Amino acid sequence: MRALAAELAKLASLPAAWVAAATGVLVPSAVAAMTARGGPVPGGEDIGYQELAFGVLGAIVLGVVAISSEYVTESAESGGGRQITTSLTAVPSRTRFLLAKMGAVAIGGALLAVVAAAATMGVVQAGAQTPPLGAGDVPRLAGVVCYWALTALLAFGVTVLTRHGVVPLALFIVNTSVVSVTYLLTKITLLANYLPDMAGVRMFIRRLPDNDVEIAPLTAGLVMAAWVAALLVVATVVFTRRDA
Amino acid sequence: MVTIDGLVKRRGGREILSGIGFSARPGRVTGFLGPNGAGKSSTLRVLLGLDRATAGTALIDGVPYARLRDPLGTVGAVLDGSGAHRARTGRAHLRWVARSAGLPRARVDEVLELVGLTHAAAKRVGTYSLGMGRRLAMATALLGDPAVLILDEPVNGLDPEGIRWIRTLLRERAATGRTVLLSSHLMGELAETVDDVVVIDAGRIVADGTLGEVTGAHRTLEDAFFALTGGGSRLTGGGAR
Repeated sequence: MRALAAELAKLASLPAAWVAAATGVLVPSAVAAMTARGGPVPGGEDIGYQELAFGVLGAIVLGVVAISSEYVTESAESGGGRQITTSLTAVPSRTRFLLAKMGAVAIGGALLAVVAAAATMGVVQAGAQTPPLGAGDVPRLAGVVCYWALTALLAFGVTVLTRHGVVPLALFIVNTSVVSVTYLLTKITLLANYLPDMAGVRMFIRRLPDNDVEIAPLTAGLVMAAWVAALLVVATVVFTRRDA
Repeated sequence: MVTIDGLVKRRGGREILSGIGFSARPGRVTGFLGPNGAGKSSTLRVLLGLDRATAGTALIDGVPYARLRDPLGTVGAVLDGSGAHRARTGRAHLRWVARSAGLPRARVDEVLELVGLTHAAAKRVGTYSLGMGRRLAMATALLGDPAVLILDEPVNGLDPEGIRWIRTLLRERAATGRTVLLSSHLMGELAETVDDVVVIDAGRIVADGTLGEVTGAHRTLEDAFFALTGGGSRLTGGGAR
């Protein structure tokens, strides 16, 4: 628990984590505001949710910087140190350290999702033509929170392996915002629907464009969780075996 | 008490440490001397559980670092630079370290005062000078008031006042029965601080004893060092990791 408290304190005192938070809240609510202005849109049942599927960028940045910040090397004039040495002398068990990090990233990602969902849905509800949120939205919003927490962990796991934030950040951001490689893959093989992000969004998105594959929300969550668990196991094995 | 025995470390097919063995005893300052690239940092990193040894043991009070119950209360470590992320303030850095060991917040202000960084506590580490970064690393090491201090090149980058300060501090720690192990390639600085000397060269221990024993018939520790390590021919190569 001490290790988790330390990791939460680290995240809270890292400016990049606040940039991640701002991105996660502002991006989906701003997009939602623009969509709402355009009047009623087809596929209105996913309004707000689509924006939140995109706003997961914030959770990605959070997951990446949580671990890449450990490996940032100080300038040579400052002695060329890295925070990871301090972290691992404070918490020498690699597994405990990584578990604490995962805990902090999951909590951070989930909290961010709650705030972002509140902001985005607030904007959507302010629009006149949208149906009010009902009981059916509760499990979907829970799905959003799970999706953000799991995506943050996914980005975290990859960055544990790379020890550098740039590549995973570019990869995840491009896939989420510019060209969804995983989405294009679903055109080639239906199996791609079971990739972590493609499956994960079905926890709360009802209709994906040009896609008839049905995955129940619970199944979707389990599929994504399985991917994340597998990745984190690999990351933990690599992390415990290599020199810091 | 630090006990290292038969330590071997291979990295990328190259043997960096070839069976290192020595100990650092309580109440004494032990100097771990050697040219750059001799294996000082590698030894200390294995001792702190950061790197894995290919063979041999490195123990603190009889256990490997990773199995210490209260690491920060047992060992204080100073490695490269400040060991802090540059975007955090000095105080925020010390706070998360304190939290990881369940130490009270008040202790953070105590160590800041102790190393003379109180005035810069609210500044980002990225704005610190090399000397200030070293002081922050020292503050981190002292948080848990540990029985053992392990320092890699602690006087690097310090101004004369800083060097004097660290010398006094290390002597005080040893005087109260604590163990101090510090590495250095600066002989002159070390001769006035240490009780025991261990000399490493190209991954092997070439001398181990009290300051008097190692200096021996040589005029100074520096002369003894160059005689032991082959006249400083290696001083241009290598590099501290």
